[in-house]
Amino acid sequence: MQPEEAQISDVDLLKAIVRQDETALAELYDRYRVILFSLLVRILHSREEAEDVLQEVFLQVWRRAPDFDETRGRPFTWLVTLARSRGIDRLRSLAARERVALAGAREPSEDVSDAVADAFRSEQRGLVTTALAQLPEEQKRALMLAYFDGLTQSEIAEKLGAPLGTVKTRMRSGLIKLRELLGSQSASFGF
Amino acid sequence: MTHQDYKEMISAHALSALDASDDSVLSTHLKECAECRQELDEWKETFAPVALDTKPLEPSPQLRDRILNQVRADKVSVSRPNVVPLARKQTNVWSSLGTLGAIAASLLFVAMLVYVVLLWRENQAVRNELSTLREEVNQTKKELDEQEKLVQMFAKPGIRFAELTAMPIAPTATAKLAYDSTGHAMVMTNGLPAPPAGKAYQLWFIVGGKPMPGKTFSTDSHGKAMMEDQIPAIAMNSAIFAITLEPKEGVPAPTGNMYLRS
Repeated sequence: MQPEEAQISDVDLLKAIVRQDETALAELYDRYRVILFSLLVRILHSREEAEDVLQEVFLQVWRRAPDFDETRGRPFTWLVTLARSRGIDRLRSLAARERVALAGAREPSEDVSDAVADAFRSEQRGLVTTALAQLPEEQKRALMLAYFDGLTQSEIAEKLGAPLGTVKTRMRSGLIKLRELLGSQSASFGF
Repeated sequence: MTHQDYKEMISAHALSALDASDDSVLSTHLKECAECRQELDEWKETFAPVALDTKPLEPSPQLRDRILNQVRADKVSVSRPNVVPLARKQTNVWSSLGTLGAIAASLLFVAMLVYVVLLWRENQAVRNELSTLREEVNQTKKELDEQEKLVQMFAKPGIRFAELTAMPIAPTATAKLAYDSTGHAMVMTNGLPAPPAGKAYQLWFIVGGKPMPGKTFSTDSHGKAMMEDQIPAIAMNSAIFAITLEPKEGVPAPTGNMYLRS
């Protein structure tokens, strides 16, 4: 089911999960499994690891739903933040960066069905891709290394062979630019 | 470090990209600064859609079941009370084993107690549901019996009908009385108000101005009722039929208001 077609809002689903409603958790999983799983595979470069972490994420949602505060942000943001945080923790605990560097051969290649791709909000994805494409390459590279590879600013500086101050400046400039680009299209992100 | 310095670190913190020392400093500041916490939330909102910049992939179908099974197991373990036994001074290995055994036995006892309570509750719920279903079945059976009796009554040769008219006290009430050549009668009412506590409706056969008592009956929430009675032989050809509100056990002569009459 696509989020925009749902009768029950994500916020209401989270409220139902607070009341220990399993069907609400199942519904939330159905809505966001592709987005979160794709993110975790991108971070971990492994379907097995990504499934394991996705299971942890939804168990965390089940236990920590009372912590969600709708005045602080959307459920989509909360879920992505949880998943990304868990994914990067797993990546770091596995000391898997070398693995990532060699992971091209194991990059999951299975595509999803058209229906699932639709559910994955191809339009919004297009907006994000367009926004990222407008960033200068060195800024985008630094941001992607942080977002998907979980590298800190010092690690990015080392990987790119650039001074730490330069990396900080690139990242901050890139983030501000990204906020402008995505902020102007925020109405399109109907999560 | 100035407030502006902290603010410039927030976006990188939202990406988990700060080095450990900077991250620690900013985390301390965030505990005290609502403005920076709000800015952190805003940056998280900004970054979340970047998660869409990935190739769509579907997890295995089994994962959904694994998650739901784990959640159910979590639900059961959370519902069990946390029992923390008091620590005892341990003198030797054997007493330690005894203590551990006692703790294990206590935990087992509590777990069994919880299990028994859960089973008892489940049993109660099932009993309640069964009771409701039994009532529904009885009600349906009663209605079917009544329908069958009506069909049998209407199929009898020489069946006669009398229509009772509503009195001003219950203008929407209606009633019909069907009876055969033996005096076996069936009264069907509709729209009668529910009788007050301790009261019931009573059927009367009026011959030559003298009322003869029939049976009492009550109605359902729609004012419907079906009741069988036997018309006295003397009333078979010249009776007027009436319904009044009387004490529940019935009376030999009418005392209450008349609701319907033929």
